[in-house]
Amino acid sequence: MSNRMLKSAALAAATAWLLAGTAYADQTVIKFWDNQQTESGLSVFQQEAVKRFEAENPDIKVEVTTIPYPEYQQRLLTAVQAGNGPDVSTVDQIWNSAFAVAGAIQPLDDLAKQAGIKAETFFPGAWESANYNGQLWGIPFNVDVWFFAFVNKKLFQDAGVDPASIVTWQGLEAAAPKLTDKSKGQFAIGLTGNKSEYPVGMSDSFIYSNGGSVLDDSGKCVLTSKEAQEGLAFYKKMADYAPAGILNAPNEPMRELFLNGTLAIELWPALEQPTLDKSKIDWDLYAAFAPEGKKPVGMFGGWNLVLYKASKNQEAAWKFIQFMTREDVNGDVVDLIPANVNAAKAFLQKSRRKPDMILDHLNNAKPRPLSPRYLEVSEVQQNMMQKILSGTPIADATAEACTAIDALK
Amino acid sequence: MASRGKSLIGKVPLVILQLAIAFLVLAPFFWMLSVSLKPANEPFAIPARLWPDNPTLENYILAFRPEFRRYFLNSIIVSGATVLITVPLALLAAYSLTRYQFRILSVFLAAVILAQFFPAGAMIIPIYKMVKAANLLDTYASLIIAYITVTLPVAIWMLRGFLTRVPKTLEEAAAIDGARPLRAFFDIVIPLARPGIVATTVFVLIVTWQEFLFALSFTSTKEMRTLPVGMNDYIGQYGIRYGELMASSVMVSLPVIVIFFFLQRQFVSGLTAGAVKG
Amino acid sequence: MAYGFMLPAAILVAGLMYWPMIDTFRESLYATTFLNPNPTFIGLKTYEQLFGDSTFWQIVRNSIIWTIGVVFLQNVGGFLIALLLNQKLPGQGILRSLILLPWVLPGVVAAILWRFMYDPQLGLINSFFMRLGIVEHGVGWLAEPSTAMAAVIFAAFWKGFPFSTVVFLAALQNVDQEQVEAAKIDGAGSLRRLFDVVIPAIWPVAVVNVLLTTILTFNYFDIIYVLTRGGPLNATAIFPTRIYEVGFGQFKFGEAAAYGSLSVLVLVLFVGLLLLVQRRQVKAA
Repeated sequence: MSNRMLKSAALAAATAWLLAGTAYADQTVIKFWDNQQTESGLSVFQQEAVKRFEAENPDIKVEVTTIPYPEYQQRLLTAVQAGNGPDVSTVDQIWNSAFAVAGAIQPLDDLAKQAGIKAETFFPGAWESANYNGQLWGIPFNVDVWFFAFVNKKLFQDAGVDPASIVTWQGLEAAAPKLTDKSKGQFAIGLTGNKSEYPVGMSDSFIYSNGGSVLDDSGKCVLTSKEAQEGLAFYKKMADYAPAGILNAPNEPMRELFLNGTLAIELWPALEQPTLDKSKIDWDLYAAFAPEGKKPVGMFGGWNLVLYKASKNQEAAWKFIQFMTREDVNGDVVDLIPANVNAAKAFLQKSRRKPDMILDHLNNAKPRPLSPRYLEVSEVQQNMMQKILSGTPIADATAEACTAIDALK
Repeated sequence: MASRGKSLIGKVPLVILQLAIAFLVLAPFFWMLSVSLKPANEPFAIPARLWPDNPTLENYILAFRPEFRRYFLNSIIVSGATVLITVPLALLAAYSLTRYQFRILSVFLAAVILAQFFPAGAMIIPIYKMVKAANLLDTYASLIIAYITVTLPVAIWMLRGFLTRVPKTLEEAAAIDGARPLRAFFDIVIPLARPGIVATTVFVLIVTWQEFLFALSFTSTKEMRTLPVGMNDYIGQYGIRYGELMASSVMVSLPVIVIFFFLQRQFVSGLTAGAVKG
Repeated sequence: MAYGFMLPAAILVAGLMYWPMIDTFRESLYATTFLNPNPTFIGLKTYEQLFGDSTFWQIVRNSIIWTIGVVFLQNVGGFLIALLLNQKLPGQGILRSLILLPWVLPGVVAAILWRFMYDPQLGLINSFFMRLGIVEHGVGWLAEPSTAMAAVIFAAFWKGFPFSTVVFLAALQNVDQEQVEAAKIDGAGSLRRLFDVVIPAIWPVAVVNVLLTTILTFNYFDIIYVLTRGGPLNATAIFPTRIYEVGFGQFKFGEAAAYGSLSVLVLVLFVGLLLLVQRRQVKAA
């Protein structure tokens, strides 16, 4: 290495150290990891919130690391597994119980009780997802329901269909053929079917809305139930009106199709609104769909804040978790919807259409199975969806899936 | 295979083939360029169009953010240091291999080639633990060390071919004239092996410039990310910012292509010598 | 001096590659998952389970088809393109530089680019075929189990062929022109000259290149992971994507380690077979 090279490397290293921030000797430094969504520019707001926290707690310094979504799971898992994790991080609801069973995170019951944190503060589905085996393992941070139907009003008008009619299965079934014109490359509904979590979450909503479930209270697979099978059958039926190539379709091209005006209904969390506001599409949203006479139940998702056992600064880390989920802060630091109900109400009034409808859909939503082996359950469901969408009879596919899921124990 | 003496008309089919290959290689790039010039609020057309309606440089301006410049600097430091260390080391090793019987080095080379069989995806956590134990996480050093380890054997293998072609008689002649061995090495061997050194440099540069897995595993802070890992910034759970992603990719690829345009002659003759003797 | 430099290098290779591999194999003998931080020793039980699992055999089959497909295209296609680039034609210098673009592009970006190109509605490929009248509606090339493997192989060919082309181009330039001319005087046609003079001359390079691309392709992750994640119906699942899915996607480190160890075994057998065939050929010739 040449001298100049050495110098610039040293300089860069020094800059990195400076950027990481200067901590005073008597300050506690805590590390906070969050995944970074590309669109919201959230990190700016988080930095402001962190400054506010540091002003309130001058003895604590927070080092925020935002990690792009595609690498978050791998990075977090690697670091935690190697004993090099953060003090506090967000975890996907579907990882929370696994982290608990792995012994990586602290139970928070006593701390929550002392701090007066109550279940009612948060959406029921979010609170449920942070509980496992009678203990509390995280504080809900942000939430959303992956089951809002965003509609392109112009396509509905051209087809002579009332957008409000699609909130029932019957209405959707009648509307779908009218909204589809394959010769023009126009499709009624954006469904996914690739090997990923998307079709699992989407089809869960179809099952939930028909009164079905993936696992029952004892953890046994109930995908073979009449309700679940009907939900899946309806999904399969609607796949005929979805863009071609469903077996490799993730959600993301569905958005591009909705934005270019060739897709009539996009199923997305409420977080889609800012993107659509920037587009030229004349759109509206509804709580998607349930059989006539039933109320739609969407798949609930989101992130919880957890406190790591390996953290040497438990007290400071816990203070930070409380701060981030507080009513007056939570709304500023999330890109989905605040998990704190009061913060969510204010947030929705301020920045979302139909806030009351969204709130109702959130209160009514159901999380995915809370098993610590959820990711394995999900893989079975992914394979099941691929089989159903490629023509395997639903009874056979669900029976096979239940055998595999029940064998996980 | 030189086709001297063929008439111009005889070459028409070849030119058509040439154009076909250019199309195959460049169509995806042209489209990448087109996406990079598309305004963020202009939707993708159906059927796909090769050129946006209102081309703009806004994605380039957005993509050239401070983070990108930082990643660029990191990539230059890491790739540069790797090249500066690997190439001289490889030169020395290759030289010893051609001039002296050196069985251990051959065994060592084979062992490193075998290591290329290992599944990186399964070893991320153990590798991470090793780097952590050495207290090198989030440092340039960890990446530079890893890249040297990976590129050194190939570099030795390439350079060995060149040095075997440098006749020993020249050095012997120099020795008779009273030059010390080191002097002969610098004055005679290096100048003759110059094309090979250039070729090796370009190879090491391209490999490190686009390396992803080590760069992802050994760094966690934004300040230490390299360009290939930095591309993840545009990929979210709910969508991809195609315009900026493609604009960044164009900016990442062009410098290397420009360098290559000037070095291609040496590179081409360099690779052969290594490969033939390997 | 030489030993002084060998020692640190050997320590690096041992620490960075061999020890992690040994650790991976050791882990495959335990019932390791993220959920179970203190796993028990179970010997070869995970391997037994894998051998009884049809998904495992599908992955072995896919990995071999994928590797053969990509290596064949990259070498034969790469060689033919090199032949063309070796002709005296206008614009060759620029073309020789431009064909390197795919190789320089970060793998993830190349993969995203191709996923978009293949998209049934938005992609350039369908739009091109539709304009030519080859297909009527957009086809999900990656969504049909029958075409998905071919589609990912082609994308990988595009990403990787420049390396082979450059190597072959270099080899071609070193072919002894006197021999070519002599064959010409003997009345050999251009195909004849290709098979009798040129190919034998570049054969050693070709063997090394085939081996190198085989190893790289077998362990290549980005393209398939981004394009299909191993779907549809596991039609494109290969070892690297499966290892990632099982380890990081499902927290099952032990099973991922077993897949990893077996992938080394499969690759060693595969490369061994290649070398055997090559040695036979040399003997026969």
